[in-house]
Amino acid sequence: MKTALITGITGQDGAYLAEFLLKKGYTVHGLKRRTSLFNTDRIDHLYQDPHVDNRKFILHHGDMTDSSSLVRIIQQVQPDEIYNLAAQSHVAVSFEEPEYTANSDALGVLRVLEAIRILGLEKKTRFYQASTSELFGKVQEIPQKETTPFYPRSPYAVAKMYGYWIVVNYREAYGIYACNGILFNHESPIRGETFVTRKITRALARIKLGLQDALFLGNMDAKRDWGHAKDYVEMQWLMLQQEHPEDFVIATGVQHSVRDFVNAAATELGIQIRWEGEGVDEKGYDTSGKCIVAVDPRYFRPTEVETLLGDPSKAKQKLGWTPKISFDELVSEMVREDLKSAERDELVKKHGYKTMDYLE
Amino acid sequence: MTIKRALICGVSGQDGAYLAQLLLHKGYAVFGTSRDAQTASFRNLELLGIRSHVSCESMALNDFRSVLHVLSKVRPDEIYNLAGQSSVGLSFDQPVETMESIAVGTLNLLEGIRFLGATARLYNAGSSECFGNTGARAADENTPFHPRSPYAVAKAAAHWTVASYRDAYGLYACTGILFNHESPLRPERFVTKKIVAAACRIARGSREKLSLGNIEVIRDWGWAPEYVEAMWRMLQQQTPKEFVIATGESHTLEEFLSTAFQALGLDWRDHVVLDSTIMRQSDLVASYANPSLADKLLDWRANMRMVDIVDLLVNAQMTRSASVS
Repeated sequence: MKTALITGITGQDGAYLAEFLLKKGYTVHGLKRRTSLFNTDRIDHLYQDPHVDNRKFILHHGDMTDSSSLVRIIQQVQPDEIYNLAAQSHVAVSFEEPEYTANSDALGVLRVLEAIRILGLEKKTRFYQASTSELFGKVQEIPQKETTPFYPRSPYAVAKMYGYWIVVNYREAYGIYACNGILFNHESPIRGETFVTRKITRALARIKLGLQDALFLGNMDAKRDWGHAKDYVEMQWLMLQQEHPEDFVIATGVQHSVRDFVNAAATELGIQIRWEGEGVDEKGYDTSGKCIVAVDPRYFRPTEVETLLGDPSKAKQKLGWTPKISFDELVSEMVREDLKSAERDELVKKHGYKTMDYLE
Repeated sequence: MTIKRALICGVSGQDGAYLAQLLLHKGYAVFGTSRDAQTASFRNLELLGIRSHVSCESMALNDFRSVLHVLSKVRPDEIYNLAGQSSVGLSFDQPVETMESIAVGTLNLLEGIRFLGATARLYNAGSSECFGNTGARAADENTPFHPRSPYAVAKAAAHWTVASYRDAYGLYACTGILFNHESPLRPERFVTKKIVAAACRIARGSREKLSLGNIEVIRDWGWAPEYVEAMWRMLQQQTPKEFVIATGESHTLEEFLSTAFQALGLDWRDHVVLDSTIMRQSDLVASYANPSLADKLLDWRANMRMVDIVDLLVNAQMTRSASVS
């Protein structure tokens, strides 16, 4: 059976992909950054005790900014497939930590490709790179497909663009089976809490139960193509099972604004929002007249990406891939899960125990 | 009028030397950097006779502290970022160093300007390598990038970092997308210099054979001393913008080769061995440029064409080897 190495295994996609590959019978190795706090919540259910024989799920400490750790782990694991999902993945944070973003998101890709070469694994190991719709930035055509020119607008997008092209270059120059999945936004109940979709579903669930007063957002007119991460990881695997490596756009082909997302999540919770005002003064009120959604310019970015909409025709045609989970189902699942944890918090509080609010 | 201060990162290279010469001529106080200014060779500045007029500082662009230190010490009005690993071939062997010196280096300069709240204008040396193979359709400022080497990918990242910082923070920062530009200061690992040097030795009686890879590649060759003028003009505009800088004429390497040997009364076919092992896996086949925006907005155009350039290079080489012997 095949062996896969997933960098970024503790993240949303890493967790879904690990689960997916284990079901397919893979042995899954994961690269995990050293942190002082546990960050393995998302893969806790997959964990296997080191004392168990024939483990199928194994974690390694390593870091995308440390070549020696990457070479050592890849040498030990001898993977058939590497999924490079590790990254500083937050656009806004990339403006605050541009060099770290370049180091992990751009040079990190190069370090893994170099490790494949150094270990002579060019013919054995296939490489998947998590590219992003942020490459399209200030979009040059609508919708965006594989041939749309890039216009990156953040240190995150620039670093990811480097990653994209270095993958193409190593494929052409050294014949490595390496490809880019240009994934549009993909969400789930285990999306990071600081990403806008999760921030919305979590906040509205907590507002519903009186654990929080209001939700503050940045650009509510921003439009995105939102899919479900579970659908997208299948595509990542499919891309490595072809005869020839190619790059693919992965998207739903449907677009919604941040405001649409707020409305959909509120409806799911039975909250009616009445919108008033425009721009920074825009506010959302519940039926009792309480302001529950407002704009905070702090969340505006130095350069905004206004609209992203993907055209997944190539993936559909060549890989037979179509997303199965709709926007409404996605929002509904996220809201349900966040409502559950809000209810748990409420219960715990009612009985006099402390819970963490995890506000950022 | 106060004297303007210019900082040239990578002053020891070909472009750095010509730019220093130009800016001195325009009355600037010129500061230059090299990774270790104590031990660096400033041969090019010496050849142009301006070594003593340029104050040289040590600066490692991949070290933020070093960048801040030099920016606050020099307080430049204009910064020209010409530093970084500059060989496409070497970038396959040193991909990380290439990325760090080019892309992280540019990032540190931009962050340094922001941190100091400086109003300095930044010119960034881009590269036609970012376009990859242009095909017969000449590349202009709107042509999408298809970089095909670690060098080109790093240059593309630096290009977009500059554009992002301009949009995000309103800095005056821009990239010049320069096509090949030659001069007697080119080191011999560049094929043009390699051809001219060998042709001159052969004209003086050497019986050597010149080994070359693919001579069908097509390039737009310009004259470096003219190109540095375009860099300067790019920083004198009202709004910063990207520009393609080229002659607008492309030739095969074979044409360049034949022109060089002809200038010395020789036939290249008698002296050249074609060696396919010198070819690079992802060498660009064709590179065509459309520099009309620079003509229109910068009032800049290349006067020297390939034939003139070959003449100048051959003359310079013959004079130099004459003075050596």
